[in-house]
Amino acid sequence: MDREEIERLIARTALKDRAAFEELYDRVSAKLFGVCLRVLNKRAAAEDAMQDTFVKIWNNADRYQANGLSPMTWLITIARNTSIDRLRARKKGHQDIDTPGMELTAPGPSPEQSAIAASEASRLIGCLDTLDSDRSGAIRGAYLEGETYADLAKKFKVPLNTMRTWLRRGLISLRECMSQ
Amino acid sequence: MVAPGFDFSEGVYEPMSDLPPPTPEDENDFLAAELALGLAEGDDLARAQDRVRRDAVFGAQVAAWHERLIVLADSIAPVTPHKRVKKALLASLFPKIRVPLMQRLWVWQGISFAAIALLAYITVPMLRPPVPTPQGAPQVFATQLTGDVDDLTVLAVLDPARGDIALRRTAGAAPAGRVLELWAILPEQAPISLGVLPADAVARVALPAELAAQVAQITLAISDEPPGGAPAGIPTGAVRAVGAVSEL
Repeated sequence: MDREEIERLIARTALKDRAAFEELYDRVSAKLFGVCLRVLNKRAAAEDAMQDTFVKIWNNADRYQANGLSPMTWLITIARNTSIDRLRARKKGHQDIDTPGMELTAPGPSPEQSAIAASEASRLIGCLDTLDSDRSGAIRGAYLEGETYADLAKKFKVPLNTMRTWLRRGLISLRECMSQ
Repeated sequence: MVAPGFDFSEGVYEPMSDLPPPTPEDENDFLAAELALGLAEGDDLARAQDRVRRDAVFGAQVAAWHERLIVLADSIAPVTPHKRVKKALLASLFPKIRVPLMQRLWVWQGISFAAIALLAYITVPMLRPPVPTPQGAPQVFATQLTGDVDDLTVLAVLDPARGDIALRRTAGAAPAGRVLELWAILPEQAPISLGVLPADAVARVALPAELAAQVAQITLAISDEPPGGAPAGIPTGAVRAVGAVSEL
């Protein structure tokens, strides 16, 4: 997907340009719907989550520029977080993980830093494979299934603190592997 | 329970003993990763979300984790959503209400009676223009411009046949030392300045013929600008109010 084109459409959407917003929808909705469907598994729930995602995009497009994320990362992360919030919504004491504009303070990372992050990113999958399968499974479970520490501890039959230590070590190894 | 410190002894998945104990930087980066993964809970979550807003370095760490983890979504195949999803989305964001003029005006939230009376006052002469339009009934368009910066609210009535826009500011004002500038936004075009608004609550500005021809597609926006207006003819300040034009 053409990064500059998506960025341009987000910038136009920030100016409340409906035609640009509709074009953005046409360009990215299939990917975002795939993400919602992957997390929620049910078509009706995924449709609701995606509609909610695009309402957030319309309302927060003006906050995109400051957050330093690549455009597809921003869009997919909103879809993923919205879906996970819905998945967890039934649980008691649920707190939204989503901060729709995802303002990661200004100034965000420079384009150069973002480029480094992007090239690191391409190594993620290979690096995940170097981790113990339980640990990489826990990271995937948290990211793609919205599993909490409690869910993961139950799934892998380990105490909560152990789960947290697993994740910490796994993520630190992952970062080191990706930056090599 | 396994005591902390002994919890990775089983299985020996990785040569953990080679790793030095976590440094404060590692700890920070782990918090950033937890936030990006959605694992932070309770007070930790609230603290981390607050920190992202105030601590640029931490914010950049969270952004870096978002960029790293997004690769996990790469393998997710796109699935084309049903057309009705787009329809429902657009209907929820841009409701189209087909009701007669006066009822339509009442639908606008936050309009005072005085504002409606004034709108009627400025609209009625437009509805009887000196030059009859070819189709008979003149088309009049309107919008209410609002924003979330402050309570600035401006009613605009556009008369393409006469080529003007009547404006009435019903709430809010320009910030100190700034002026309000009106812009017309059309799809795929840079915003077009319609001029700086006077300090008065009521104003009239010209609607250029090329814009009048596409009036139904216009979104009006108001930004704050230095005195005299945006220097290069492009908006530089915050967009304080917007409204999409629709036919009355």
